[in-house]
Amino acid sequence: MRWRRRDAIRILAACMADWWLPHRLFAQRPATPKSKAQHERRVIVVTFGGGVRYEDTLAREGWVNIPHLTSELAPQGLVYPIARHEGLTGHFNSTAALVTGSRQNVDAYGSEAPVTPTIFELFRREHALPPEDTWMIATNKSFGLMGGSKLRSFGDPYSANVVLPKQLLISTIKAAVSTESGPGVEDRRALAERMMLALDEGYEGFGWRVFESGRALGAELKASLAKSLLAYFNDPATPTSGDELTFFMTKEIMNRFAPSLLVVNFWDIDIAHYGAYSLYLEAIRRTDRLVYELWQHAQALPAYRDRTTLIVVPEMGRDSDVAGNGFANHRSGDESCRRVWLVALGAGVPRGAGSERPIRTLDVAPTVAQILGFRMAECEGKPLPELAF
Amino acid sequence: MIQFNPGLTGESATLAQQHRDTLARLPATVRAFILTELQKWPLLFEAEQRYQRALLEHVSRLPEHDLDQAIAGIGRIEKDAGVDRIGERNPARFQDEAQALLRKRGVNVAWRGEVDRFFQQIDPALDAQLYPGDAPRRLIVQLYAGNIAVQREKLWNRFRRAGVRVPLNLEGTTGSDAFLQALFGVRDAAGSAPALLAAATASGPLDAWIIESHDALHALCDGASMTGLSYDRLRAYRDELTRTLNQKIQSGVDSPQAFAAYARGLQIAPPAGALLYSADVLLAFVRDVFLTGNGTLLVNNTFVEWAAVQALRRAQPRILVTRFGVRDKLKPFSSMVLFSQPRASDHNPVVPDPAGSFIDVEQLSYYVWLNAEKNPAYRQKTLYLFLAEGVDEMLAIRSDKPAAQPAATTPARLADVYATMARWLGATVPNQSGEPILPLVS
Repeated sequence: MRWRRRDAIRILAACMADWWLPHRLFAQRPATPKSKAQHERRVIVVTFGGGVRYEDTLAREGWVNIPHLTSELAPQGLVYPIARHEGLTGHFNSTAALVTGSRQNVDAYGSEAPVTPTIFELFRREHALPPEDTWMIATNKSFGLMGGSKLRSFGDPYSANVVLPKQLLISTIKAAVSTESGPGVEDRRALAERMMLALDEGYEGFGWRVFESGRALGAELKASLAKSLLAYFNDPATPTSGDELTFFMTKEIMNRFAPSLLVVNFWDIDIAHYGAYSLYLEAIRRTDRLVYELWQHAQALPAYRDRTTLIVVPEMGRDSDVAGNGFANHRSGDESCRRVWLVALGAGVPRGAGSERPIRTLDVAPTVAQILGFRMAECEGKPLPELAF
Repeated sequence: MIQFNPGLTGESATLAQQHRDTLARLPATVRAFILTELQKWPLLFEAEQRYQRALLEHVSRLPEHDLDQAIAGIGRIEKDAGVDRIGERNPARFQDEAQALLRKRGVNVAWRGEVDRFFQQIDPALDAQLYPGDAPRRLIVQLYAGNIAVQREKLWNRFRRAGVRVPLNLEGTTGSDAFLQALFGVRDAAGSAPALLAAATASGPLDAWIIESHDALHALCDGASMTGLSYDRLRAYRDELTRTLNQKIQSGVDSPQAFAAYARGLQIAPPAGALLYSADVLLAFVRDVFLTGNGTLLVNNTFVEWAAVQALRRAQPRILVTRFGVRDKLKPFSSMVLFSQPRASDHNPVVPDPAGSFIDVEQLSYYVWLNAEKNPAYRQKTLYLFLAEGVDEMLAIRSDKPAAQPAATTPARLADVYATMARWLGATVPNQSGEPILPLVS
């Protein structure tokens, strides 16, 4: 208890200093970046996100909703059926706990960064990595500050690039329908062009934090985003979900930059708040498919094949029917809000294994640190020993 | 001690004055909660007013030592969090600030646990007083519209361990109108409710509620002195509410709390004819249903479920009938921008989703039942009937005998179901050609 108090005081002091001192807006390329050969392992963490109940997914009756995970991915890896999210059951704090290894209690709507260092910052700082080596791609539009903590010794110089594709989509649609003139949303080509224009004008307005480390990268980055957006709109299935767009963007970033650490936040499942159970189940099935396709994509890329560990974990559950307020909500704090699961596969993960040992979502961050070989800051989570390092 | 300034008048002021000493002994957050309820007095349902009276009387009767012990945990958390340093004196705004502070200090879960513990100690006595064993029986009927794509093998599967399946003979009741008339009885005259519902509204229109996604039930009850909420009939109201909220968002809001406070203060009246009964308490109820229920502005069946759950919790009607229908598929793009109105040129065709609607309403009707069973007003006293129009089977659950029973063998006519409901309620209804289904009423 004593160390926690000391830790809290330290964090508080750091936060206050951070507010007082000038805030640097742009990341800096470290003086002596290490080559990629020095850190060949790669990690992709996917939040099976938006809040999903154990009973609707990994419980026997939920398998029908996650056929790819249960029949194709889990047999290739290690399943922890008993995982628990501790801390606040809101999206930002639960995801921030996942990337820091410590419970967070900051503004639920994303106006504050986490108060302890993120894996992105620790990884980049220790290995002197450029900004393009760590990314967070999030459907949740409030995750703009998820890439770095508010600690003065960390923050923007070491933060991850964060892109919020759905926010871009929403902003563009809003602009497209703001007047009665123009093509509106029916003309998808025009909408895509409007998106491109928005990117040229400055994506910071959408909450994106993309740290450009040179003019060349900036142009390449924009070309990548443009390609992703056009691919999205040209998809014959004309997908309209935020997670589909996140998926396309993730693939493009993998293709272009092959980051060592990638956190992908899927979030369509949170449509449960509309109270339509069928839409919630549909989103679970979509997330299951996208996770599978993401893994397939990683296997198709030489930069990722045989050297990537994939960790799939819901950041939190949702309320139970009986003790809580039902699938539509996730604020009761009941056990159903906390009970989740974790599936790991790929490099360093035993195949076809399972561990009944209860784990916590807080364990993800120190596990990522072990896999990628950087020192984890003092945190509440512990590395998962079942994964071979 | 924090001195609140609730600005009470009338009966609520008298009540607060009578129990002034008791209120002074309560922790600030509990006191603020009670005073906020008293502030809303004219917009509380009778059941809510009864509860507040009983709560204050009960707490006032508690021996000092017992009360101190019951509230000690809440008081300790408040003190540690520094709740007493909040300067706000309006109890509702104080509550908002106290909640924000408790969250910031990371003790809101512990605080909620202590509040739950406090009410768990006093609720049994209140329940016994407010809901005696000989209170009148209640009835909840949940209907699925005929165009929902019902999958028979999955129908009411969540209730596998409850109630009895009753085969139905639907001869002569094809179509929604015929089905509903056979179920609820004919109207004595234009402007009166169908016989069964009329029999239950003797003490006032708030005793019988119909809540539906479309308006088949309303068409049956137009002009009747009862309470009705139809998602379809509230379309103009929903549009106006959405437009107002969207304008507020566009003009900028300081915080989610500020937006919520703005929304709570909105006074938008539904157009004439949208509601069967439009007392102030009901207008406030409708606004709250749309503002507090996730998805109620967007999904018709979500509205039905949330409104039903709130009606059970707050108004506690003797009869509640819900009728779920087919919801539309969510539209791409325009539906992604919450609260915004698609412009005329961007209207995509409306596509109904009968299959998805079935999955939805199975869950939602289950939630209505679950919530009713959590409520002492309904526990042990309620007959639940589940019917899907055009389906020759019914599920019946008696809350005093909820365990699964073997399915009945003789098909019942809707006239028999009508007679069963009347018998259960002890209501005298005209034109009763059916016979009560005895296992359900004996």
